[in-house]
Amino acid sequence: MKATQCFFQDGEHKWLAIVRDPERPDALIDTNEYLVAYNGAGLLLDPGGAEVFPAVFSALSAEFDPAALAGLFASHQDPDIISSLALWLEFNPKLPCYVSWLWASFIPHFGGSAESFVSIPDEGMEINLNGLPLQAVPAHYLHSSGNFHLYDARARVLFSGDVGAALLPSKTDGLFVENFDAHIRHAEAFHRRWMGSNEAKRAWCERVSRLSIDMLCPQHGAIYQGPDVERFINWFDGLRVGVAVG
Amino acid sequence: MIPDSGTTPRSLAHRSAGQDLVRIVQINEEIKSIVAVAFKINIMALNAIFLAKRAGSTALGFGVLSNELRVFSQDLKNAMGGLSGVIHKAVSDVSVLLQDQRMLRLLQEAEVRSGGNIRVREALRARYDRMEAHRANLALQRRQLQLVLGNVAQLVELGGVLAKSAKIEAAYGQAFSSSLSQVSGEFDGVVEEIRRSLGHLNKSEFFSSR
Repeated sequence: MKATQCFFQDGEHKWLAIVRDPERPDALIDTNEYLVAYNGAGLLLDPGGAEVFPAVFSALSAEFDPAALAGLFASHQDPDIISSLALWLEFNPKLPCYVSWLWASFIPHFGGSAESFVSIPDEGMEINLNGLPLQAVPAHYLHSSGNFHLYDARARVLFSGDVGAALLPSKTDGLFVENFDAHIRHAEAFHRRWMGSNEAKRAWCERVSRLSIDMLCPQHGAIYQGPDVERFINWFDGLRVGVAVG
Repeated sequence: MIPDSGTTPRSLAHRSAGQDLVRIVQINEEIKSIVAVAFKINIMALNAIFLAKRAGSTALGFGVLSNELRVFSQDLKNAMGGLSGVIHKAVSDVSVLLQDQRMLRLLQEAEVRSGGNIRVREALRARYDRMEAHRANLALQRRQLQLVLGNVAQLVELGGVLAKSAKIEAAYGQAFSSSLSQVSGEFDGVVEEIRRSLGHLNKSEFFSSR
């Protein structure tokens, strides 16, 4: 069973992480799903694959009414991000899914129709969650060619999709990065291989350096907080990516 | 077993897991509100004990009842813990069934369009059997949930009796009578709130849908 942990709260404004499923089959990569909740409405970020839908849905239900979901946000098109879409739409056929325009006709292969999607233009857009402005921040080619992160300026939280992801050993289950140097070793190979463009990486580092970020939340692994956020951005900036042997 | 393809209605793959998921989510939300109210009762019972102690010999009967109410609130808290566990499992089981139905629907379509391809048919049969096993599991959960709800309802009836007795005893509290009446009245109100919520839950179509 996945656990739901609230890691930011200011009154009715919350960020929840749905993480670490001990019953997850080994063949599936572990994923983090996040919920931003504001004044009773919620936006679910990278809701996950079809196989983990029961675990995510039941964990979410323990802390938040799924009927109050105002939408889904998919950072990109991968199966571990959004292949559960059809199941969420069975629950609520009117749930909009925010995703890069690039994938609006690919993701319906997982389910949904043209009406199910709100296409995000390349330059990003503001998403209003019941009065809370959220910013879809461009992160193209990191790793997907149409890729967005989500920034909550009031909470100073950046959901960073696959950027910052770490493939942690099975017994490492903390929500936050505790030792940056030890942690980043589990992120290095992933970033070298999955992030395809040094130019895009540079642009992203410059873009997010201008934001005030207390927590950087990736879709795999642990959350970076405090000084580790800047450490990560600097580390990523200096990393040569797009490298594969062969 | 799954019926022959020629006689398999398409709707078979898609009965009501989506609706059931909506219903179980509604039940879950109602239970969460009962759990919150039950927590309130715990605090109220503690206050009642302190008040009875302050009132001393003028509220001996109320003192006995406030202790009983404290025991009741603990029992209710434990029952709510059990209820939360059962409802969580039920939400997960309905989600699994939704997954099954989605797959079954796609396989059924493939079977029809392939003119009854034998391998698709085998896959369809396997998925159908799996879904039936999940469905049986869910039926078990449904009964378990009803059973736990029944137990909670009995417990709440007892709480109602205690609250009403406390109201009567409060009348003998002399100088403390008005404070004791207020506490016992609040108790009664909260028990009534839980009873109403349980009434809604028992009427849910989740328990009648198959």
